[in-house]
Amino acid sequence: MTCREAGPLLHARLDNELDMAGSANIDLHLADCRVCAAQYAAIQSLHEEIAAADLSYAPGIALQRRLETRFLHEKRAPFRFPTINWLSSSVLAAAAIAAVALLVSIPMLRIGSGTDSISAEILDNHLRALQAVHQVDVPSSDQHAVKPWFQGKTSFSPPVPDLSDNDFILIGGRLEVIHQQPAAAIVYRRRQHVIDLYVSPSAGADSDPQLRELGGYHLLHWMQNNMSYWAVSDVDPTDLRKFAELIRGK
Amino acid sequence: MNTKVRTFELTMWPHMRAAYNLARWLVRNDHDAEDIVQESFLKAYKAQESFRGSEPKTWMLSIVRNTAMDFLRRVKSSSPVTLDDPEIEPQDHSPNPERALLEQSRRDQVRQAISQLAPEFREAIVLREIEGLSYKEIASVLNIPMGTVMSRLARARSQLLVELGGSTKEVQHDLP
Repeated sequence: MTCREAGPLLHARLDNELDMAGSANIDLHLADCRVCAAQYAAIQSLHEEIAAADLSYAPGIALQRRLETRFLHEKRAPFRFPTINWLSSSVLAAAAIAAVALLVSIPMLRIGSGTDSISAEILDNHLRALQAVHQVDVPSSDQHAVKPWFQGKTSFSPPVPDLSDNDFILIGGRLEVIHQQPAAAIVYRRRQHVIDLYVSPSAGADSDPQLRELGGYHLLHWMQNNMSYWAVSDVDPTDLRKFAELIRGK
Repeated sequence: MNTKVRTFELTMWPHMRAAYNLARWLVRNDHDAEDIVQESFLKAYKAQESFRGSEPKTWMLSIVRNTAMDFLRRVKSSSPVTLDDPEIEPQDHSPNPERALLEQSRRDQVRQAISQLAPEFREAIVLREIEGLSYKEIASVLNIPMGTVMSRLARARSQLLVELGGSTKEVQHDLP
């Protein structure tokens, strides 16, 4: 065997990819040729060095949760809040403690669960739409096509701004029912991330966007001119905030 | 329970870590790697009816690899300059700080050297040296013959040795 023949086979030998005869041939050559033996020792120590360095990257917990929510979602629909389970199990487990806990937590829970159950419903709706073949009833990147589509179907006129300069591309719109109320869902895309913006009339004072995280997804809720806004996506929360500010016209 | 979800969970889920590692090495930052993995899982989920016979791991990794390569081509065509995230490593709390620092910097050198390889050499090294795949599995992920896997690994390792100063005598075997 010549050095030229042996060259690439040194790697196959190192990687245990040769049969016994092939390995024996290389070993014979290595015993004879100091240059190839040095090269083999070098790639072997490189191989060991990379293994020892443990250079593997691990996925973050946020990504894992997001993928779980997205792909294993059908298994446990509708989306349930862990706090609800926690509450019912503690009632069963320790009545006395739970009684105290209930007294303390019911008033807080009621306020919390209003927006919390809407959050869960919004996320559910968003995930169902992502899995559906048609994410939109009116597919159009033209705001002048999407906005009139809602007229006659809703008693209100949702904002449908063109945000393409900021890399939020309009995909279209669809009609949804959130909390027994008709809501306009306006769909945008940022790179491969879909953002659903839910708009429905709701009396209340204007409020700044509040960020919450659910199953690895982010939701932003705010009130503006007696309209309730919910933006939901798996996009980076910074981008979602930017989106909300653009929608609010800030 | 939905059998499609169940099958997906059993066959593809266990390979998320490997999928992320490959994506992270190819695109070289966390944010884009997460996007690649998510897009790849979506593709795998939609295409799982067409998945027959081959190993789930190599099938998943080949989707990740193709998605990452498409992404790199898009980035390259849209902006000529790409900025890599600086590599931040957690501090080691060994008793000997000087030695720890030396080991840390050597580890960074190895990481840096692999990271600087051209994508076709980098992916071969990552799949072989970090994921521990066989030539047959690598050939399946990269959709190339096993002989090409061997020659790419040979080229990649030679470059790494030069970069890391591990080889005083670079042997000229005139590899193809």
